[in-house]
Amino acid sequence: MGRAQYTIRRVLQAIPVLLGVVTITYFLMEAMPGDPVSIMLGPSPSAQQAAAIRAKYGLDQPLWLRYLNYLWDVVQLDLGTSLYYEVPVTQKILERMPVTILLLVSSFTFAIVTSVPLGIISAQRRNKPTDHVARVVALLGVSTPSFWIGLVLIIVFAYQVSWFPATNLVLPWASPAEVGVDSQLDVLVTSLHHLVLPTISLGTLQMAALTRIERSSMLEVLGEEYVKLARAYGVKETTILRKHAFRNAQLPLITLLGLQLTSAIGGAVLTETVFSINGMGTLIITAINNQDFALVVGTTLVLGLVFVVGVIITDLSYAYIDPRVTFEDAD
Amino acid sequence: MSEPLLTVENLKTQFFTEEGTVRAVDGVNFEVNEGELVGLVGESGAGKSVAAQSIMRLVEEPGRIVDGTVTFDGKKLVDIEETPDGRMEESDEMLSNREMREQVRGREIAIVFQDPMESLNPVFKVGAQLREFIELNRGVNESEAKTIAVDMLREVGIPEPEARYDDYPHEFSGGMRQRVLIAMALACEPRLIIADEPTTALDVTVEGQILDLVSDLQERYDTAFLWVTHDMGVVAEICDRVNVMYLGEVIEEAEVDDLFHDTKHPYTEALLRSMPRPDRSVESLDPIKGVMPEAINPPSGCRFHTRCPEAREACKEFHPEYQDVSDADEAPHAVSCIKYERVGYEDSDPLQTEATGAFAGGLADMRGDDDGRDPAGVPGGEADE
Amino acid sequence: MATTTGSDTDSRTESDAQAVESDPEQPAANVGWRYTVSQVRRDPTALAGLGIIGVATLVAVIAFLDQTVLPMFGIEQYAIAQAVWMSPNAEVAPQLLPPAWTTNVFGEGTWAHPLGTDDRGRDILARVFYGTRIAISVGVIATTIALVAGTVVGSVAGYYGGRIDDVLMRAVETLYAIPFLVLVIVFMVAFGRDLTFAMIGVGIANIPTFARLIRSRVLSVREEDYIEAARAAGVRDRNIIFRHVIPNSFAPVLVQATLQIGVAILIVAGLSFLGFGAQPPTPSWGQMLSQSRDYMLPDPWFSIWPGLAILITVVGFNLLGDGLRDALDPRINN
Repeated sequence: MGRAQYTIRRVLQAIPVLLGVVTITYFLMEAMPGDPVSIMLGPSPSAQQAAAIRAKYGLDQPLWLRYLNYLWDVVQLDLGTSLYYEVPVTQKILERMPVTILLLVSSFTFAIVTSVPLGIISAQRRNKPTDHVARVVALLGVSTPSFWIGLVLIIVFAYQVSWFPATNLVLPWASPAEVGVDSQLDVLVTSLHHLVLPTISLGTLQMAALTRIERSSMLEVLGEEYVKLARAYGVKETTILRKHAFRNAQLPLITLLGLQLTSAIGGAVLTETVFSINGMGTLIITAINNQDFALVVGTTLVLGLVFVVGVIITDLSYAYIDPRVTFEDAD
Repeated sequence: MSEPLLTVENLKTQFFTEEGTVRAVDGVNFEVNEGELVGLVGESGAGKSVAAQSIMRLVEEPGRIVDGTVTFDGKKLVDIEETPDGRMEESDEMLSNREMREQVRGREIAIVFQDPMESLNPVFKVGAQLREFIELNRGVNESEAKTIAVDMLREVGIPEPEARYDDYPHEFSGGMRQRVLIAMALACEPRLIIADEPTTALDVTVEGQILDLVSDLQERYDTAFLWVTHDMGVVAEICDRVNVMYLGEVIEEAEVDDLFHDTKHPYTEALLRSMPRPDRSVESLDPIKGVMPEAINPPSGCRFHTRCPEAREACKEFHPEYQDVSDADEAPHAVSCIKYERVGYEDSDPLQTEATGAFAGGLADMRGDDDGRDPAGVPGGEADE
Repeated sequence: MATTTGSDTDSRTESDAQAVESDPEQPAANVGWRYTVSQVRRDPTALAGLGIIGVATLVAVIAFLDQTVLPMFGIEQYAIAQAVWMSPNAEVAPQLLPPAWTTNVFGEGTWAHPLGTDDRGRDILARVFYGTRIAISVGVIATTIALVAGTVVGSVAGYYGGRIDDVLMRAVETLYAIPFLVLVIVFMVAFGRDLTFAMIGVGIANIPTFARLIRSRVLSVREEDYIEAARAAGVRDRNIIFRHVIPNSFAPVLVQATLQIGVAILIVAGLSFLGFGAQPPTPSWGQMLSQSRDYMLPDPWFSIWPGLAILITVVGFNLLGDGLRDALDPRINN
């Protein structure tokens, strides 16, 4: 079976999962104490106003009907209206989503770019000083809370030495006028400068986890028979590392990348809080604190979607690298 | 006769583990002549694979070649000498790692490993893997290498080689993969191919096909083979000459007919008796008693004395010399057993071990009311005395 | 979802367990225990991890006595702390004092409060010390919940297969798809913002890890000859699961559980940092960090100590987990 078929199957498999995400979140929110109407209208609304609001947001219908209505709306890409912001949930999400995606992409880039060489060097110089240092770094990385790394980075690099800004993230797609610089290039540079601390804060955990898996999978692959065979046929060690072992060693890393997304999204909530970034994480916290029902379900669904899409992408790249995956699926 | 293609002298390879030093290969000597198919047999743990890999210096940590000389076509692949102050050092003549890689591995000596399932890289196409090694070792360009690869795949009996060239290893069966690996070895046109138990992982019928293929190809290409195996049957089928290994040492060497019909060493004899043969019933099979001792702490004297049916007290004392015992007009036949030395074997008392049959009666008595299950295979021993 | 991603973990855990089954004919939990202990005793990193965990647990137990058990017998809360040092809740000193060896705008450090004081003049050392209780108890309890529930789900799914497997694993994947932290927060908002629900929430959110692990073990053990034999001999399914399958999963589960406690401690710290979790004035590390945010410029040390405490504790669990993995899976030798 071909890759196209495999792709379609993986996408179809994601649908029940997304349905499950909506369902779980929807009913958890229904279980939430407090009345959204009183939040909107203050502590003592008139009965008439309350009824009007209920009717407007469909709160007067039975639970199962509201659930089905919601599902139908979701299928039509309508996630309802935010009670707190009084705008469509989709609008709010579209506004915040790019920020969080930017943060995730930059921290994963940081993590991959640092962890792959670190893991390989560590495996290659196994039990030598370099390896020990890399392993200690990785151990500390997986053991440190990301938000605390953020706090420490702010204390040291923003407050003590003022190398990097701690707040007011500049987005790379902002207009030069907004930022107060001359060109789009300057905006980009400013943005990168702002992104450094949040990226390290969020990316360290991923970096450490990936380094560990890279090291162990590289060690495993270097012990494989086909690596020995390449050596027996006179292939240079650097070629073995770069070509014969590298591709195989990345397979567990790719799997982990997808799974790390869930902890990275959780980390994004904390990182956005620490650096006061207006992304999905701070949005969901605001929504929860204001019992903004539609916004909470909407953001959770979209974050679930990000995860699902991320895992599909990693699965497909896995299948692309390892021909056995699509093959086994055919049986 | 001209110089042998490969000469291994006093080769020692040891593994430095937490438990102690494993003397996997402990002073091994053998030769392979141009175009000859030489067997290296022994039970698992005898050190035959380590010996084969030591020739190409492929032994990995914590293993190390500590002594000996391996000469291939005049080049010193391994040459370790004792310095005046008593340390073991590589001589100046010994090839550097780089020379080893660029001049010997693949180009002069190729290897086929035991497990065809693990020897091919699962994420690359079979053809690409073949092509890479051919390019590297024959100095041809990509398209020439491809032509050679496809031709070689046809040679080893892969149907539709042009189409299979672009398949991945998982699309081949075990036997087909081993054919690919043999094609890989032959395509590099080496003068020696080391086959490290290449048929062990295969079905018997497939094994037969591969052996036929190798015999056939060997004749046509006139490549020398060092065939590592634990299977005397395989040896009988394809080898010209055989070296028998036990616990890190070669203990007997002869032409294949001589070895089978004029067996000198009790271990070789025991190996042959333990081999199923069509002319004997299963009951007369005679497994070798006991298990091979650890190579960390090999037995004193002759290493086989703990399991040898003919062991005497003297065997514990004297380490036998490895020497040619053939008559002048015969083909060489080397063996290391003190039966062929004058150190007092004849006057020595038999050793009291299970293998010499000393405990057989006692064990039977002790087992008196048992159901007769026999863990050590004693009945066979009685049948053959 | 994640069926192929699962396959990799499957093969890993298989090998993990096979390494331990030296004799597959007689799988028994106590064999695993004895072997584990003997291996860990030889591994200095695992012992270091065990040491950190031991100290942290001791501290947590003292805090538990002092905060919860003794008050049930009419003894004043924090009596032990006061007898030895000072109550973590006593507002006794000037606010935001730096550690003893430095000064800041609020004053000069004093050895009476070696690590300084917080924004309400409470001793940071005492609060970090007592914060251990929340971290350890939530980590252990949440992981136990995840372990038990995950074992049930995973073994049922793996053993019965078919539709039951499909439904259960789809549910597990769904649970996994919702970002961990978000799931727990939504759960806590729905049911209650206190510590109990933090534990349950983290436990539920962690079910997928164990369910998948156990399921993959069950799938491989199910094919073993002795299970076939047991089934043929008429041993009941439930007995097969409990007597054979679960003991056989001992090694990978132990490793995973140890590492997962560390993860749970990190999550709970994050929750407390966001204001979900232990409620004031009960000392907890995450919440201390949350308070410290307003004083990072004048009193940076306030932000350092609780984070260090989290770091050291989680390092302890990771060291032990890694040590166990190396000990139980000789294939990956370091």
